[in-house]
Amino acid sequence: MSEPHAEPDQYIYIVDDDEALRDSLVWMLESSGYAVAAFDSAESFLEAWRPDMAGCLVLDVRMPGMSGLELFEELGRRHCALPVIFITGHGDVPMAVSALKRGAVDFIEKPFNDAEMRRLVEQCLEQERSSRTRRRTEADIARRLEHLTQREREVLNLIVAGKLNKQIADVLGISIKTVEVHRARVMEKMGAHSLAELVQHVVAVEPVASR
Amino acid sequence: MPDSDHTTLRASSTSSSSQWYWTAPYVAVVVFAVSMLALVWLLQTREAEGERNAAARDVQWAEQTVRLHMQGTEEVLGQLARDIAGGVLDADTFQLRANQHIANNGELVNIVWVGEDESIRWSAPFDATDWLVGDVLDPSQAVVFQRAREVGRPVYGLPYPAADGGWRLEVHVPIRNGRESRGAVVAVYSVERMVRYLVPGWFAEKYRLALLDGQGRTLAVNSALREGEGRVAYELPLDPPGNGLVLRATVFHGAGGVSRLLPAGLILGLSIIVLWSLWTLRSHVQRRVQVEKERDRLFNLSLDLLCVVGLDGSFRRCNPAFERVLGYRAEHLQGQALLDLVHPEDAAATLTQLRRLAAGEPVNFENRCRCLDGSYKWLVWSINPVSQEKLVYAVAHDITGRKAAEEALRAESAFRKAMEESVVTGLRAIDLTGRIIYVNAAFCRMVGLEEEELMGMGPPFPYWPPEEREACEHNLALTLAGRAPPSGFEMRIRRRNGERVDARFYLSPLIDLAGRQTGWMASVTDITEPKRIRAALEAAHERFEAVLDGLDAAVFVADARTDEILFANRAFKSIHGFDAVGRTVRGVAVPQPERGDYRVDPRGLTVADLPRELFDGELQHPLSGRWYHVREQATRWVDGRVVRMGIATDITDRKQTAEVSRQQEERLQRTGRLITMGEMASTLAHELNQPLSAIANYCAGCVTRLQGGHGRPEELLGAMQKASFQAERAGKIIRRIREFVKKSEPRRSAVQISEVLDDALGFAEIDARRMGIRIHAELEPDLPPVYADRIMIEQVVLNLVKNGMDAMADAVADERVLTVRARPYGAHAVEVAVIDRGHGIDEEDRLRLFTPFYTTKAEGMGMGLNICRSIVEFHDGRLVVDANPEGGTIFSFTLPTEAASERAARRA
Repeated sequence: MSEPHAEPDQYIYIVDDDEALRDSLVWMLESSGYAVAAFDSAESFLEAWRPDMAGCLVLDVRMPGMSGLELFEELGRRHCALPVIFITGHGDVPMAVSALKRGAVDFIEKPFNDAEMRRLVEQCLEQERSSRTRRRTEADIARRLEHLTQREREVLNLIVAGKLNKQIADVLGISIKTVEVHRARVMEKMGAHSLAELVQHVVAVEPVASR
Repeated sequence: MPDSDHTTLRASSTSSSSQWYWTAPYVAVVVFAVSMLALVWLLQTREAEGERNAAARDVQWAEQTVRLHMQGTEEVLGQLARDIAGGVLDADTFQLRANQHIANNGELVNIVWVGEDESIRWSAPFDATDWLVGDVLDPSQAVVFQRAREVGRPVYGLPYPAADGGWRLEVHVPIRNGRESRGAVVAVYSVERMVRYLVPGWFAEKYRLALLDGQGRTLAVNSALREGEGRVAYELPLDPPGNGLVLRATVFHGAGGVSRLLPAGLILGLSIIVLWSLWTLRSHVQRRVQVEKERDRLFNLSLDLLCVVGLDGSFRRCNPAFERVLGYRAEHLQGQALLDLVHPEDAAATLTQLRRLAAGEPVNFENRCRCLDGSYKWLVWSINPVSQEKLVYAVAHDITGRKAAEEALRAESAFRKAMEESVVTGLRAIDLTGRIIYVNAAFCRMVGLEEEELMGMGPPFPYWPPEEREACEHNLALTLAGRAPPSGFEMRIRRRNGERVDARFYLSPLIDLAGRQTGWMASVTDITEPKRIRAALEAAHERFEAVLDGLDAAVFVADARTDEILFANRAFKSIHGFDAVGRTVRGVAVPQPERGDYRVDPRGLTVADLPRELFDGELQHPLSGRWYHVREQATRWVDGRVVRMGIATDITDRKQTAEVSRQQEERLQRTGRLITMGEMASTLAHELNQPLSAIANYCAGCVTRLQGGHGRPEELLGAMQKASFQAERAGKIIRRIREFVKKSEPRRSAVQISEVLDDALGFAEIDARRMGIRIHAELEPDLPPVYADRIMIEQVVLNLVKNGMDAMADAVADERVLTVRARPYGAHAVEVAVIDRGHGIDEEDRLRLFTPFYTTKAEGMGMGLNICRSIVEFHDGRLVVDANPEGGTIFSFTLPTEAASERAARRA
């Protein structure tokens, strides 16, 4: 068995009303080295939910009170980025399929194979990890963009549009010298080491702005 | 009482001293009277002496007068004699002079010349009868004549009685002519006339003058009065004539005696008057003293407070009642102010009264006065001022008791008033003529009239309904005649607004304090409501009897101890005879439980144990072989007795029917269980998945750890234990399935239909979601629990829902709605309807719908609906199918509620 590639801040959140199933799942995943947090109902999970939760979610479809599906929809409304794996029982398959269509990572039918479960979990964590990194970088760029002055922003836009310094000076009605100063400041504020890097950053967060 | 003794003592001492006072005036009066009498006596003695002297003088004077007169006559006679002697005198002159003399001297009767021959010569007056001329002197006269001739001087003869009864006295005066005697002139005196005429009138008034002869014979008297004893008399010999005649004068004492006695009489009289008046005064004073003593005693004995108070308000004199009532000694109170005793609350009012008193008005008022012990007593004062004496006289009466009594009476009266006003029974009193003399508030309310309107009113009363006037008058007449029935009258009252009220009048005589009957008191009860209730009760009773008589079951009620039948319905009587009531149950009714079959011995039951079921069982009639369901219960009879109530129902037919249905039920069960198993397979699979997944997980975890080489034994042990626990859980599920399948007979119990529907729909939801069908549940709140086997009903619902969903498989998405509705059906059932919007069922199919093995589904067995109907009918309900007006089909079934089933069970 390969070692789990979980980051220390990544958790596997299990939501299942059946105590035995929940406990056994925790046991199995902890045996594989994952950090696991378990909840006995959708409601208790929602209570504990924070936007900065990282990891993935294992949800039982059928639960008294709020069902797994409803929890999934609620999390969607809350823009939760956690990937979700559904556990279904016999006969719940059509339901699980519809969940899958709505963006769940996958579903696994009871009684499930532990290897299959581990695979799915690993896949989810990986997916969550990368998307989180991306989101973090984008947030960083966005923050940096915030710090630009109006003029610097105009200069940046024109740079991204592929304009030369001279053209920029013409458009903005300022001297080339001044454009160069602004450009240096922009590069510095955006933490970009090259023009290509700068453009890449800006496009990543503001595809519209690049147009 | 020491005080009164003291007073008596003082009174007696004063009475002894007053004796002295009283003797002195008497003595004085007596001494005065005696001295006065002595004085009078002295004076009178002296006066008598004087009188005697006066009488002597007067008699002497009278004697002298008589003598003078007689001497005068002697003179005249002498003259005549001389004239005769002288012969100068003729007969006529003699006659003239003699008659003249006789006329002048009334005492003279005759003057006669008697000749020497002793015969009468001349006689004057002419008409003299006893001295007729020629008559001769009688011897006695002759003696005197002779003597006179001899002595030559007038000689008086002895008085002699005359023919007329009077005495006569003659004086013979001799006629001498020288020596020649020529007879004598004789004058005849009437002794009476002498006495009468010779003394003057005043003498005759003063004295009684009598002439007595020598022998003491009274010859004449000038008064008719007899001579009294001891009178002052004075005698004097008369000379001439001197022949022993005595003149005797007696003082008349008529007027003089009275005058002499008068002073003494006056003195005595006045003394007596004085004494009498003294005695009267004394007795009056004694009476006054007596009265005063009595008053004093009354003052001391009076229970009321009596006192004399000065105008300054201080006590001057108090009676001992003060000590008895208030506790103060009378002498301590003296000088104390009345106001000091008065209760502070009453002080102002009392002061006002005292001011009025000072103005001279008599006042009456009540106040509270403090006793020596500090308590207060109510006193009623009556005070009269006497302004001349500058005193007020006060009487106070202790009315504390009366006040308390008054207070109690007032409270009592208020209580009575309140009672009269608050009682719902109307009270009306009439006098003996039928006039209303009293009504209370309840009566006024009852008739809707005011008390003022009713008072004094006589019949016909305004509350008599016009249509029943005669009956009312009759009742009133009976009442006044005292023949009102003790149960009272039932009468209708017309209220002011025309409304009629039924009322019962109970009448009783109204007796006053003196025990006389003054009228009739009626208590009036509004019986409109009781009457209505009674009518309703009667109707209810009739219904009850009709129902009981209409029952096929034989019903009886028998005394628990004596076994006597108290009540039997028609069915009972028709079985056991119409004379059953009054006989014993044991004597008439067969079959019946033996004594030992009873749960408790009914004979030992008391009312507190009731109600209690005694027997509930089925008995076979030994002769007819018919079965009866006999149920007996101990209960309380209307009169409070403990009774057995028995109901015997002929259940022979039912028993047969039940046997048939039981066999059917068994068949149904077998089929039902098969169906149920099939229906539950999916659920059971899910149930089993849980433990199985858990076991797999535990095992996988363990394997992982062991492979990784970091599995600590205790951790692994825990996981393995949990896994084995889950295996047990799975085993239990399997066992339950087996039990379910084994379950031989349905178990009916109180079930909430909503829970059954929730469970059934929970299963159905899985398929419904899969098929995109919405299940809409319409459950009325507060549905009563039904009496059913939960699993069976769940099975029915699930079956119907599945049918409905299958029917909608081809329907458009919007119409894929299945409605499950539960609502009350009548009072004792709940209806569950499953409504689909599917293809519906045509008429032909509907008829065959419940036929076994009829199906419209490719994979169906054609058993579902048939079983459903069996189950529903087993539950005493029915399953019907109707076309849904909105398209589709409605399957509905009913289930009895728990209460209804209980009743049914009891009936069974």
